[in-house]
Amino acid sequence: MNPLYLGTAARRLFGIHEPAAAARAGRVRAALFCYPLGQEYIYAHRSMRHLASKLASSGFQTLRFDYFGTGDSGGEESDSDEYGLQCDVRTAIETLKEIAQAPKVTLIGLRAGANIAAKAASPAEVERLILWDPILATQQLPAGAPVLEIGTALDAFADRLLIVVSENRETYDEFHKACAAHSAQFNAIEFIPSPCPWQESATVTGALPVPAILRMQQWLQ
Amino acid sequence: MLGKNGRLVGIVARPSDGACDLPAIVILNTGIVHRVGHHRMYVGMSRQLASAGHTVVRFDFSGIGDSVARHDDLSPIRACLSEIKEVLDGIADNYGVRRFVLVGLCSGADHAVLYGRGDPRVEGLVLMDPTLPPTARYYFHYVMQRFANLRSWFSVATGRSGLLHLVASHLLSQVEPKATGIERLALQDLQFSPYLAQCYRAVAERGVRMLAVFTSVSVRHTYHKQILDSFPEASAGGALRLEYFPESDHVFSTPSARKRLSRLIESWLLIG
Repeated sequence: MNPLYLGTAARRLFGIHEPAAAARAGRVRAALFCYPLGQEYIYAHRSMRHLASKLASSGFQTLRFDYFGTGDSGGEESDSDEYGLQCDVRTAIETLKEIAQAPKVTLIGLRAGANIAAKAASPAEVERLILWDPILATQQLPAGAPVLEIGTALDAFADRLLIVVSENRETYDEFHKACAAHSAQFNAIEFIPSPCPWQESATVTGALPVPAILRMQQWLQ
Repeated sequence: MLGKNGRLVGIVARPSDGACDLPAIVILNTGIVHRVGHHRMYVGMSRQLASAGHTVVRFDFSGIGDSVARHDDLSPIRACLSEIKEVLDGIADNYGVRRFVLVGLCSGADHAVLYGRGDPRVEGLVLMDPTLPPTARYYFHYVMQRFANLRSWFSVATGRSGLLHLVASHLLSQVEPKATGIERLALQDLQFSPYLAQCYRAVAERGVRMLAVFTSVSVRHTYHKQILDSFPEASAGGALRLEYFPESDHVFSTPSARKRLSRLIESWLLIG
């Protein structure tokens, strides 16, 4: 693990770079993680770290980082706003591209982090996009989190987009309707029942969302 | 990176003037929650204490947060104690600090007491909701609090009552042979309580100052001053100060509770 600071002196971000265990011949791959917001960040930290380690062992250079005003980054919670969060993701993308010497990165966001990733991702910099349990417009959004723009993500990434729903079948059905309404031929969304990493139970039971993690790792191979 | 071979990830907050005459503060993990703490509690606390002149360290035990897991056969408790020592040694070597105060919530508080008994450099402990074994008065308050609650009666009738489980566990701990040594026990095991009591006695006898903070009554403690009945040893020598946050939950969810906590710790450190 390589802890580092990224960004500017005025907007200092904390990150953890986990190097690829072994480089895959001829291909540099990099994965950037966008955490949830609020207490969900605390509950999900272990699962995100676990997924990052899995990908690192599969040959990815990985970078997990804290948005400004969260985690170990500078600033206070009140400093966190939608525009700032987007800027932080772009800063982290540039940092990871430099570390990994990769032209593009894979972006993985969980919960509000998925909403943030969907908004920040551009095909010029992002190779593949995973939205893990994003927050629908019908659900309560934490302050600063953008509304999920599924249509925009589908248009931009098509079959390079995976939406993982692990909470329950009802939530999956809502997402499926939202995706199907946009593109009847496209089926990016998968229901993978797993312990929810962003709920308090994750820090009580220690259960990891293994099925979801394995599926994401498999999809990225 | 801290600890032997730089295995442990942590954040060190230094006072701006680089002074090292005040004790360093070392904040321990709560359960498997990483060094940031619930509601970013430890980040705010460490910044406040650093601006007051302390070197403050927040780190992750191996296998927690960003620290890599161990691959030896040390028990979890022994591993935590060994890693606390590694971090203190590292701070002493790198920053010239020789005095330490350990801060912990829940299991972090228990680890602080366990470690504090054996290291003379530890001169203070801040214990938030440490593990307390039940007392007779605990059971009385527990029953009274649930007496008027229909759901509690239903739980008893269906065998799902937490109290029934606790009483059964307590009785079993009296009947079953006691485990030798702490390696096979978890902090919450009732059989662990006698060992914790020894640690409280040892730190009190050594004159280690203790600030014990308790949040709203819950299944962990059902009345104020329960620590004085559970561990009377802790108050020997008069070095124990009790504070209560009845308006706060276990993880200090409100900004006002966290602010009050940080100010309390800062003022308590000043008195030392």
